[in-house]
Amino acid sequence: MISVNSEQHRSWIPFVTVFIALVLLVIPAPELIRGFLPDWVSLVLIYWALALPDRMRLPLAWGVGLVIDLVILGIPGVHALSKTILVYLAKHLSLQVRTYPLWQQSVVIALLLGIELIFFVIVDFAAMGSLSEVHRWTAVIVGGLVWPVVYFALRRSRHLANLGR
Amino acid sequence: MVKSRDGVVRSLGPYLLLSAALVAAYLYLPSVRTVTQSAAVIGIPVHFFASLPSTALKGMQGHLTTADQLRNDFEAMRQRNLILQARLHRFEFLENENARLRELLSAIPSEAEQVTLAALLAVNPDPAALAVIINKGSADGIFQGQPVVDSGGLVGQVTKPSLFFSKVSLITQEDQAVPAQVARSGLRTVVYGSGPGRLLRVPYLDRNADVRAGDLLVTSGLGGRYPPGYPVASITAVERNLAEAFMKITAEAASHLGRDREVLLLWLPAKEATALQDPMETEQDDD
Repeated sequence: MISVNSEQHRSWIPFVTVFIALVLLVIPAPELIRGFLPDWVSLVLIYWALALPDRMRLPLAWGVGLVIDLVILGIPGVHALSKTILVYLAKHLSLQVRTYPLWQQSVVIALLLGIELIFFVIVDFAAMGSLSEVHRWTAVIVGGLVWPVVYFALRRSRHLANLGR
Repeated sequence: MVKSRDGVVRSLGPYLLLSAALVAAYLYLPSVRTVTQSAAVIGIPVHFFASLPSTALKGMQGHLTTADQLRNDFEAMRQRNLILQARLHRFEFLENENARLRELLSAIPSEAEQVTLAALLAVNPDPAALAVIINKGSADGIFQGQPVVDSGGLVGQVTKPSLFFSKVSLITQEDQAVPAQVARSGLRTVVYGSGPGRLLRVPYLDRNADVRAGDLLVTSGLGGRYPPGYPVASITAVERNLAEAFMKITAEAASHLGRDREVLLLWLPAKEATALQDPMETEQDDD
């Protein structure tokens, strides 16, 4: 009975992790560390794209991005596109990156976050002509540094969800 | 591994088009904007969980220090105090202005402003924290461009009203400009945001203009966006350089910039709004 139960996929668990990441994204942080906090939703999406590249479909990423746009009252479509690009890249890199040691993964994650940042800088420049988004490069570095923590937490949730191998 | 350029275009192209279409529709079609405002309701659970820690902390503090009744009274009085303080700032300005204008004009049109109190959600929409979210939306009559003040002075304006909550852009945002005047001398200028932090820019003041450190800049009411008389910033330093036409002025925002728990939303009196609208429709042109 128990073994039958444990065979069940709890595919809602990834959605819960995305939701938690969304909450972390908008939770107010002390002024001092605010600029250094990475985009948690990006990290979570990258994890699921690396772990389950076949299940992490692009429409899903686009939808999550759209939800971000709505939650933060941004222009709808901007985060949607950035998350789609991010997940697309992560999916294509998944087979390689999964074999890397964790610190090397961190570097790749930072690169992916950097690409997303470049996207935001371009959008911001096109919309307002300001390059103020560039100062968020620290969040990219921090994103790479916290990757091991995110990785272990989400791997635990993946085992709980019984997804993947 | 990215296999070929064709593959990239074929997989990402549709999303690029879809997003671009959505952005364009949002910017140019009012109906899409309305739909988006309503769809933003899905953000409420996220906001709820994000504000839980600070709400719990607030609740605990109240429990430890005071009884229920006392707390309610205190809350009511604090809100009242906030409104009065904001009014007071305005009256100080009016007093000054009255004294200056009494020789020129026989009377100053007295207008009553309608205000609404809104609580700040403990939610941070922007990593750079140059915007805050308040718990009133278009369902409460909040409109885009509505001025927002707190007990210290001008906070910013509503930039994205949704159905039940709205985003307020702070005056420190780089693309925000506030028509202001020096409260002491009446000198008019425009105050620009300068990004993260409390500092503001006052770039286009002539070298010989009558400005000192410590001067208070209040909204001038030009442009019709912000009502006159609310403190915007206090000038902290004035640097005159003979080689340059303009002074280098640093100013610090007068309001708490969204660190208070509540803010006030202002409705301009209709008469004033229409009277001032024509010459400078938007205050964001910077020359």
